[in-house]
Amino acid sequence: MMDLTILAKYPFLNNSREYIKKNGPSVKDLLESLVYERARIIGIERLDNAFKNRDVGERSLATETDCIMELLSYPIARMIAVCVGDNFFKRRYALGEAYHAYKNLINEQTSFLIKVSKEFNLNVKYAEENKRIKIHFKDYLRNAPTRYKEWKMINRDMEKGYIYVSHKELARLLEEALRRKINKDLDSRECDETIYKVFSSEISRFQNMVMIHRKKMRTTPIGKLSVEKLPPCIKNLLSAIQAGENVPHMGRFAVVAFLNSLKLSVDEIMKIFSSAPDYEEDKTRYQVEHITGSISSTSYSPLGCEKMRTYGICPEEQIDEICKKIRHPLNYYYRKWRQKEKEEKTSTKEETGL
Amino acid sequence: MNSFESQKSLEFLKNSFREYYEKNRMALLPDRFGRREFAFTFFGGKGMLRHLSFSKKKDFIDFLKERVPAHAYYSSAYYQKPDAPSMQQKNWMGAELIFDLDSDHLPNAEKLSYTEALEQVKKEFKRLVEEFLLQDFGFDEKHLELYFSGGRGYHCHVKDPMVFDLDSNERREIVDYITGRDLRDTIIFRQYVSERRQYGRRIYSGIKTLRMPTPDQPGWKGRISRGIIEIVNEIKKSRDPIKKLQEYGVKKRNAEKLIRDLSDERVRRIKNGLLDQSKTIRSFFLNSALRKTAVALSAGETDEPVTCDTKRLIRLPYSLHGGTGLRVTKLDIDDLEEFNPLVDAVVFDDRPIRVRLLQPIKMEMNGENHKLQTGIQDVPRYLAVFLVGKKMAVVA
Ligand code: SF4
Repeated sequence: MMDLTILAKYPFLNNSREYIKKNGPSVKDLLESLVYERARIIGIERLDNAFKNRDVGERSLATETDCIMELLSYPIARMIAVCVGDNFFKRRYALGEAYHAYKNLINEQTSFLIKVSKEFNLNVKYAEENKRIKIHFKDYLRNAPTRYKEWKMINRDMEKGYIYVSHKELARLLEEALRRKINKDLDSRECDETIYKVFSSEISRFQNMVMIHRKKMRTTPIGKLSVEKLPPCIKNLLSAIQAGENVPHMGRFAVVAFLNSLKLSVDEIMKIFSSAPDYEEDKTRYQVEHITGSISSTSYSPLGCEKMRTYGICPEEQIDEICKKIRHPLNYYYRKWRQKEKEEKTSTKEETGL
Repeated sequence: MNSFESQKSLEFLKNSFREYYEKNRMALLPDRFGRREFAFTFFGGKGMLRHLSFSKKKDFIDFLKERVPAHAYYSSAYYQKPDAPSMQQKNWMGAELIFDLDSDHLPNAEKLSYTEALEQVKKEFKRLVEEFLLQDFGFDEKHLELYFSGGRGYHCHVKDPMVFDLDSNERREIVDYITGRDLRDTIIFRQYVSERRQYGRRIYSGIKTLRMPTPDQPGWKGRISRGIIEIVNEIKKSRDPIKKLQEYGVKKRNAEKLIRDLSDERVRRIKNGLLDQSKTIRSFFLNSALRKTAVALSAGETDEPVTCDTKRLIRLPYSLHGGTGLRVTKLDIDDLEEFNPLVDAVVFDDRPIRVRLLQPIKMEMNGENHKLQTGIQDVPRYLAVFLVGKKMAVVA
């Protein structure tokens, strides 16, 4: 059995789960008994911290009780997150767990990281001959933030299917793998009625928090952009970004280039991304400025419908009459614009009074 | 060309193709054929018939025999319902990884003859397979299928089940790797600063040297290094090095300077991995080595390499190419060097066919030299199909 502090630090490991199964209390006790009050409080703290600071937070693990409470708080937080039932909230929580694990993982031995990789089904090896860590390119691709140049495969050493990574980089890959794992786990579960009852006030508090956050986002208009004139593809991507879905690089690219063509400023575009749960100001600014050409000499032109389709970011089931007439998302916007103007000219007074 | 002749030409192609499809039934069945979408175009027809699927082998073979398509395609993707009319309803289950190299995309394509162009693509294709897919990506030979496309290029299908669920972003990353996009020079060239030294009372700052990777390093580092050494050798050996450099796109003035700079001592240093040259020389070497060693992948209608597309249609192995009459032919890696499409992908006999040549022809096909003037004459059927398919002749 692993050390209890390790289990508490990494409650997502199989060993941790088994420990709870074997030695933990019944669900009823966990939810009701006074003994576990502290675990419940920590569970809620995890969620609060994740939402506010993108990190579920550090607590003392000095005594055995500390460790047990920390460990038990993990399933509690997860059950509550499921009951809050909001994508943004769930994503943010997963990110908070993953980021926290990352911060701990960088301080562990490499052998431990490799053990965790195995548990995540990542093909990772320690190459004795040159004392370096290597990971199979497929697992690398899946988990590396390749939207940043230094993470692109081409800038890595690859040999016979394996890419070399440092200790810290492996921790970063594990962070992403964990985030995806938790996301998937949260999405596959249903809210349990008992949980809902026990934590109902906390759950509505969280739901409120999300609502306020959303409102804040919505009431800040995106420049002079008229949201209802956006084509389905851009609308989808925008809401996915804001809900914290993992939008692929091309999707982000398409949105930024599109908005840039509509003469939105870098700051205005940044605002849209800032509501994403994994928002990092510096890196986002760099990317946006790169695409819009404010730091590079070329600005990229937005993708046409054909390319959008190639990348699977044209929602083919949502295309409408206008889509069928155009070949570029920008033209969708312009067409709607003209349509609207025509309508307005012919509309009655009451309507324009709105 | 009158409409009677063109009608006769179409008939001729169609009949020849039918004969082939009747004779070669089983070879045409691709693996997992029940899960794939098929698409066809027809002689004299407009547009493409898409979203077809076959559940019985016999239906598929009969279809080819009866309809005799000019071009046949299948999806690299597997679907739950390959015949559903929209991509959404088909329900994607995974897709092979496809690489498509076509001579249209060579920088000097217009100037090359059909044979020359094919020869060049082949070199690049070989590099793709050996250096990238087998070496860097470590794919197993048994998972790679190589095909001559029947037209102007080569295809490689990667059938390692591991690639099936790669999404288009992940495929894009693979493409960027192979095409050499976004390579960072700071990762390739490393600066080393020697220690500061003190002579008497003066302190001299360390000497900066720029090191390039050694040729045996894995991945792009070794590749760039090998590329640079190759270029240096080429320039040194060339009788007119200035001209050689100009071919690489270096302006005359810079070329002269570069040659002056490339003393034997310098060359030795470069081969030892020291590239402490000026910035322009450095970037010249990096860019030329990159262009030399990267692989240009053909773009589809959308300008994006076919590889990124997870729903792509690709030419059906063993079918005939309607524009050449050549067979989409499977190749062994070891046979790649020797492969000659104008012999090995030829399927028709040499029965004489009377054609009217629209332009003079000089080419080698099926091991024979054909030097023909315009006008009416008899040519072997394999050549007739090729010329009529390429619209260089009509059936008289
Ligand atoms: S058809 Fe074009 S504009 Fe419409 S949703 Fe698709 S990509 Fe966007």
